Amino acid sequence: MESTKEEDLRKFITDALRARGDRKSFVDGDSLFLSGRLDSLSMMMMVVHLESTFGIDFSEVDFDVELIDSLSDIISFVDKDTVNRS
Amino acid sequence: MSDIRILDGNMPETGATVTGTPRKSGLKHILDLDKSEPLIELAQTVRGRAFIFLVFTGGLLLSGIKSWQTSILIAVIATIYAYVPRLRSAIVAIATLNVIGLLFGYPLDGVKAVMVQERVSPLAATTIMRGALVAYTTMVWIALHITRRNKGLLIARRPVVALLLISAGLCGLTCLPVIHGIARVLLWSLLTVVTTNIWFLCYGLVDQRARDPMAPLFRLGIFHPFSGTSSVPWGKGAAFLNKTLAKNPRDLAITQLKAIKLLFWAIVLLDIEKLIFFVSVAWLHIPELAKVEAAYFGHHVAPAWIGWASLILDTVIAALSLTVSGHQAIAVGRLAGFRLPRNTYRLLEARSLAEYWNRYFYYFKELLVEFFFLPTFLRTFRNYPRLRVFFATFMAAGVGNAIYHFVRRIGFVASEGLVNATVNFTSYIFYCVVLATAIAISQVRSTAGVQLPTSRLGRFSAFAWIWTFVVCVHIFGDESRTYTLSERLQFMANLMGVY
Repeated sequence: MESTKEEDLRKFITDALRARGDRKSFVDGDSLFLSGRLDSLSMMMMVVHLESTFGIDFSEVDFDVELIDSLSDIISFVDKDTVNRS
Repeated sequence: MSDIRILDGNMPETGATVTGTPRKSGLKHILDLDKSEPLIELAQTVRGRAFIFLVFTGGLLLSGIKSWQTSILIAVIATIYAYVPRLRSAIVAIATLNVIGLLFGYPLDGVKAVMVQERVSPLAATTIMRGALVAYTTMVWIALHITRRNKGLLIARRPVVALLLISAGLCGLTCLPVIHGIARVLLWSLLTVVTTNIWFLCYGLVDQRARDPMAPLFRLGIFHPFSGTSSVPWGKGAAFLNKTLAKNPRDLAITQLKAIKLLFWAIVLLDIEKLIFFVSVAWLHIPELAKVEAAYFGHHVAPAWIGWASLILDTVIAALSLTVSGHQAIAVGRLAGFRLPRNTYRLLEARSLAEYWNRYFYYFKELLVEFFFLPTFLRTFRNYPRLRVFFATFMAAGVGNAIYHFVRRIGFVASEGLVNATVNFTSYIFYCVVLATAIAISQVRSTAGVQLPTSRLGRFSAFAWIWTFVVCVHIFGDESRTYTLSERLQFMANLMGVY
């Protein structure tokens, strides 16, 4: 389950980067939004993806871009949200 | 090649792609500067750094900076910033205070109008303005500290709402009939300082949530660092700038070579702008749009083709001017070591209105997305995906856009009164509504999976549609408030041949 989640998110990020012409690889801790590799509109797509795939309710979250700035940030954010809901 | 170019445009990449073609034209050499391994190596040596400094300074002068002294000063400050990390906070703070000092060293339009109305001497008004600036800086310092410690406060959670409320409150106070004389000038000075810096302060307050430790001086100094007198924060806030800073000498060398490349484009585009202006005005005798409008309202109606030519010319010149100034600002940021995305990027290649908007003014779009789009998108219409995208886009490109421009020219409230300033703003509101509706539809289509055209014919149709739309709404996007919405509609109808 853990690796499926990671694979899903990694694929989503790779696709989003490619859509912006960025074919460079990224590691788990690489900044995506604050570094400018992905823009705010990609952030919207990410939010929709997290809502539909992991059931996160962003209206309940004190949202800040640092919450989802890297793959590792996103994974820990999703994990924390899952724990809070259970 | 196209991938490499896309990377160069909006991606602050950290690595370089080495190309090995043996023979290249001069233009190709310039386009590939940041990918040439020998140049990247050279740019890390003292000789190379001196060369970059000289080329950049010359480039800055050729790109339209008025004096060589200013070009040298800018290049020296950015270069020291890049190579002497311990001085960075001080440099940003000094550069910022310098720009703010230039801005507020004399009373701005709104304050000038109030000064005349209240019969306050210019000397007293200048002193008041400077006092307001000191008061503002102190308040910002306190606000940054408080929001760092108390993240539950309204100003920390909703900085845009809080700052707009403060501005509206100050504006309301200045309109009260009981406020007169020095007190009114003082309030206007404070209102002007707050509204001129409001978006920088919003980023500053949002950045207080950042986990990265940043020097307090850097945080305070981040207002207006590379953006000159623009009220759009090019380079966004401190957290974004911090993340984009080159991480090693190689990274810095590539970023600085990209700065030179961007400046080269600024020079080319400035020359194109001058050429277009010269050919159209001096050879073809096409008057400027303002003159065509003035002639129309003075009952000297120009032929429709002159009106259209003038309108198209004005739209193109506006796009070129924005691109040149954006390239200059971002190039300075890159020389200082920030791997900043371009402000305007390959505008003619946009295949949808949403894409055009994304490419036209990147940092203004980011401001609207961050402060208007995302807060709306995260909280409303979660169960209606298309409505959600439409509404959030409308809030950004329409409501946010209108608020930004009204606040930016708050001086009109002083010179025309609140009611007239609002009524005369209806043309711009109309522009925002039309633009936002079109962008929102385009955005909904792209999120619904409608493919962008890839064939030549499809791309040409998209180009023709986008630019026809942009040219038509350009009439209403003029902020001067010289004409009302109804007058501009009449002018438009005349161009269409229906009035």
